[in-house]
Amino acid sequence: MDERELIARVRAGDPSAERALYDAHVDRVYRVAYRLAGDDELAREFTQETFIRAFARLEGFRGESALSTWLHSIAMSVALNGLRRMKRFRRREADLAEADGVAATRRESEPDLKRRLAHAIDALPEGYRTVFLLHDVEGYTHEEIAAALDVETGTSKAQLSRARARLRETLADFAGEWTG
Amino acid sequence: MTDDRFAHELGRAAQDYHRPPATPREEIWARITAERARRREARTTIVLRPWLRWTLAAAAVLTLGVGIGRLTVPRGASRSTVAEAGRTGSDIAYRVAATQYLTRTEALLTDFRAEARTSQGGRPDAQFSAQARDLLVTTRLMLDSPAAKDQRLKSLLEDLEVMLAQIAQLPADHRGNDVEFINQGLDQRSVLLRLRAASPAPGTSARGAL
Repeated sequence: MDERELIARVRAGDPSAERALYDAHVDRVYRVAYRLAGDDELAREFTQETFIRAFARLEGFRGESALSTWLHSIAMSVALNGLRRMKRFRRREADLAEADGVAATRRESEPDLKRRLAHAIDALPEGYRTVFLLHDVEGYTHEEIAAALDVETGTSKAQLSRARARLRETLADFAGEWTG
Repeated sequence: MTDDRFAHELGRAAQDYHRPPATPREEIWARITAERARRREARTTIVLRPWLRWTLAAAAVLTLGVGIGRLTVPRGASRSTVAEAGRTGSDIAYRVAATQYLTRTEALLTDFRAEARTSQGGRPDAQFSAQARDLLVTTRLMLDSPAAKDQRLKSLLEDLEVMLAQIAQLPADHRGNDVEFINQGLDQRSVLLRLRAASPAPGTSARGAL
C-alpha cells in the first residue's frame, strides 16, 4: 500500500490503516523521543501524543511534504514542549529544595568519557542539543532536521557546528583517547 | 585531530547517550487507543474547562449588568439619570467582570509572549488561539458595556480586540513571522503596560482605569 492510499484509508476511518501508519513510523518517533527525554515513560508519552495528534490532524495534511517529515515535526513539537514543561517544573522543585536546604550535593567531575560526554550534551542549549542528537546520533540530514524543527537548513548546520565546538572544548582532555 | 575525525568519534561515543530500548509498540498502541477513546468520550460530554467557565460567567455578568443598567433607566430619562443608574447595579457588575477579564487577558498575553520567545521557531501552542477566541467574545461585550465610556479603557479594549483577534486567527501551521508581528503590535501600542495600569493590583483596592 503506498502512502497516499494509506492516508486516504486512515481519513476514511479504517482502523487497520491507522495501525499500519503507526507501525511504519513508531520506531523512529520513539527513538527520537527517547534520545531527547532519556526516560522511557516520557518517551512513551511523547510518542502516544504524537500519534494522537497526527490522527486528529491528518485531515488537514496537504501532502506538501512526506508524511514522515510532517509526523516528525509533530513529534519534535510534542517532545520539546513537553521537556520545557518538565524543565520548568523541575526548576521550581529544585528552587523549593534549595530553599529547604535539601539540595543535592554537586556531583564531582566525572573521569569517564561517556559520563562526561553525557553531562556535556545535557548542558548544551536546547537548539544545539536537539540538532546534535538528530544529526550526529540519529543520522538525520540537515534537510530533515530543518523540516522537523521549522528552521532553515543553514540554522541546523550552524547549530550543529556550535554544538560540536562546545563539546570539543568540554572534552578537550579526552582527545588523546580518540586518536588511539 | 581533524574536525571530521572529531565529529565521527563524537557521534560514535554519543551513541550511548540516552540509548533507546526496543520500542514498546503494543503498550504504546494500547495507550493511544485508550486515550483516543477517552477524549472522544470527553468530547461528547459537555465539560467546561476553567477558562471556559470563567468566560461564560464573565459574559453572563456583563450581559446581566448591561441589561440591568438599561432596564433600570426610565424611558425618557435625562443623561444625568442614565449616568446615575449606571453607577448602581450594572456598574458594580461590570467592574467585577471587567477586573477579572483584564487580569485574564494580561495573563494570556504575558504567557503568549513568553511562549513565543522560548518555543521552537516562536510557535506557541494552539491553546492560546482557543483562549483568545473566548476572551474576544468578552472584549466585545466590554466594548458594549459602561466600561467603554472611559476613553482610555475604550482605546485599550479596541487594541486588545485587535491583538486577541490576531492570536485567535493564527493558523495551526503558522510561521514565526505571524507571532513576531503580534508581539511587535503589543510593543508598539504598549498594550501590556496599559493593561497592567488598568488592572487593579492584587490585594489592593486600587482600581486602575476601572
